[in-house]
Amino acid sequence: MALAMDRDLHVSWAPDRSSGVAASVRGISKRFRKSRVLEDISFDVAEGESLVLLGASGSGKTTILRIIAGLEQPDSGRVILHGKDVTDLPARERGVGVIFQAYALFPRMTVEKNIAYGLKIRHRPRKEKRETVDRLIKLVQLEQHRKKYPWQLSGGQQQRVAIARTLAYKPQVLLFDEPFGALDAQTRVHLRREIRTLLRQVRVPSIFITHDQEEALELGDRIAVLNDGHLEQVGTPDEVYNHPATEYVATFLGAANLLLGVATGGSVEIGTARLPADKETRRFRDGQSVKLVFRPEDVRISQDANLPEGCRRLTNGVIEEVNFVGAYERLTVRLDLTHRKGDTDSLYQVTINTPEKMTGVPIMVTRPKPEANALRFKNGDRVAIGLTSFSVLPNYTLARPR
Amino acid sequence: MKITTIKHVSGFDVARPVSIGMMLGIMLPLVLLPLLSIFVYGFGKGPGAFFSSLVAPEAVFALKLSVATSFWATVFNVVFGLFAAYVLSRYDFWGRNAVIVTISLPTAIPTAVAGFALLLLWGRYGMIGKFLSERQQIMFTPYAIILANIFVTFPLAFGVIKPVFDTMSRSLEEASATIGATRWQTFWHVTLPSLRGAIVSGALLTFARAVGEFGSTILVSGNLAGRTQTAPLYIFAKFNEGQIEAANAIAIVLALLSFIIFSVLFFARDWLEFAQEA
Repeated sequence: MALAMDRDLHVSWAPDRSSGVAASVRGISKRFRKSRVLEDISFDVAEGESLVLLGASGSGKTTILRIIAGLEQPDSGRVILHGKDVTDLPARERGVGVIFQAYALFPRMTVEKNIAYGLKIRHRPRKEKRETVDRLIKLVQLEQHRKKYPWQLSGGQQQRVAIARTLAYKPQVLLFDEPFGALDAQTRVHLRREIRTLLRQVRVPSIFITHDQEEALELGDRIAVLNDGHLEQVGTPDEVYNHPATEYVATFLGAANLLLGVATGGSVEIGTARLPADKETRRFRDGQSVKLVFRPEDVRISQDANLPEGCRRLTNGVIEEVNFVGAYERLTVRLDLTHRKGDTDSLYQVTINTPEKMTGVPIMVTRPKPEANALRFKNGDRVAIGLTSFSVLPNYTLARPR
Repeated sequence: MKITTIKHVSGFDVARPVSIGMMLGIMLPLVLLPLLSIFVYGFGKGPGAFFSSLVAPEAVFALKLSVATSFWATVFNVVFGLFAAYVLSRYDFWGRNAVIVTISLPTAIPTAVAGFALLLLWGRYGMIGKFLSERQQIMFTPYAIILANIFVTFPLAFGVIKPVFDTMSRSLEEASATIGATRWQTFWHVTLPSLRGAIVSGALLTFARAVGEFGSTILVSGNLAGRTQTAPLYIFAKFNEGQIEAANAIAIVLALLSFIIFSVLFFARDWLEFAQEA
């Protein structure tokens, strides 16, 4: 469903455009009893931007949201909204709009009354209340449902009421707590687009929290990946997906292959293989152990030595398994990597599990349908393997004991 | 309420008529017949006799006094029960469980003990009573009856409201706070409406229980006809005097009253709890 266009909504809801930063979290730390929940979290949300806090359950993302909303107090750090330090203000004085996971609509109030609640408690004149409710109900397309109670609405409709209810008092920032958690997969995708469209119209800076990487990539102008209470990386979807800063980011956002190697003379050495990576290894000293991370779709395979342009050759391998997975083809390829002297087995790890122990390292490769149809592989085929894109990360786990 | 009948038995289920019959057979002499007898004897001498004993000044006074004292006890216990439930489900403090147990205690205390305890505290030589002047004495006045009613029905409204508070989703109140409401606005517009069913049930239970209170009332009220005699005391007094019709007329009124209250509680459940789903 396309959302009703309402042009006069644009300007009115951007309280302070000049500074550019709408919400800012500075060095937030929080403990519950003895366990550390958040450690030194800092990030900014620009005016009109939507930021997604992505993390597994227990990563502390809900706590960040509650701290910004004023429902929880940080042990240290500040929350700044439009240049004003609100850390010590109670929730009701912050002007933040929270869309709770189960929407938290008031069950004894109709759709209209729910939306008007923010104005009612501010004792706004009746005329203003009516006009705002009319405009918002039209914006979220619930005209036929204005007299209904929350329990008479579908999940998606309830969510729209929840958003309209916060927009009524012109919030400084919108916070979405797992907004699609309670919905089935199809509705989820549909609503996600709807919210994106809606947010573009109202231009209120938003923070989403989710554990769903697909949702994060689609909803966020930027994504902040959270792991066990600290931020792993903050960046655009392209940055975090294609240039993950850590192994956690690489494996949490989509599938990733991971090989352990050593940076030497402008390339990454993995066992007997050498991958030219002048730019990528510049920040490492010679002989430093590194992790090579690459996505299944960034692998190119070919039966002759002619790999496509711009693709760097890694090594050769053998096709071990071919699966068609709907939209694309997934192959398991075992790399011809033999260990150098002195290396241990633990040097090679891959995110896909292989029960049997064989020489060489299996990696996961995906190919789009047209390519898979044009050039078919069967098990046992020998192929050359190249990478179009990859990241080289420091390997702290190995560096420490040495 | 939807009833699920037993379906895993084929053919004629003998257990059905037997068990229903047995249940009614036990209930009949224990509950149904005593109630029926009130009505049979009450109207035994015709409706005229019934109405004349009903409008006797002392009878009217007793009924009015019962309703009035029960009303005020109900008002107090609902308001206080609401407050206590709010405090005890929102704040954790040392001794919280002890307070919850203490609030619930009066249900288990014999009412005569309750009345006796009040006398020891408020009586002329009681712990507090001895400091009161002659005019301030409250024992053997209608206030004593209200006090006894409050004591005896104390846990009822609290007991109904507290679980609703406990299970209420905190995110409603949090949503209200983030929208900009003060605590009081949140309580008034969000919390209280969700408690409507519990408050009505709690009030009806308290009132029903207070109207029928006898054991504590007879000790603290002095049982003075036309002054501190409530309806149950009137029944007892008239019965002792041998005026069965007079006692019976009031008994019928009290029985009908509780019947009405419990019908409301039973049949209006759905209405009271509406919109709790969702």
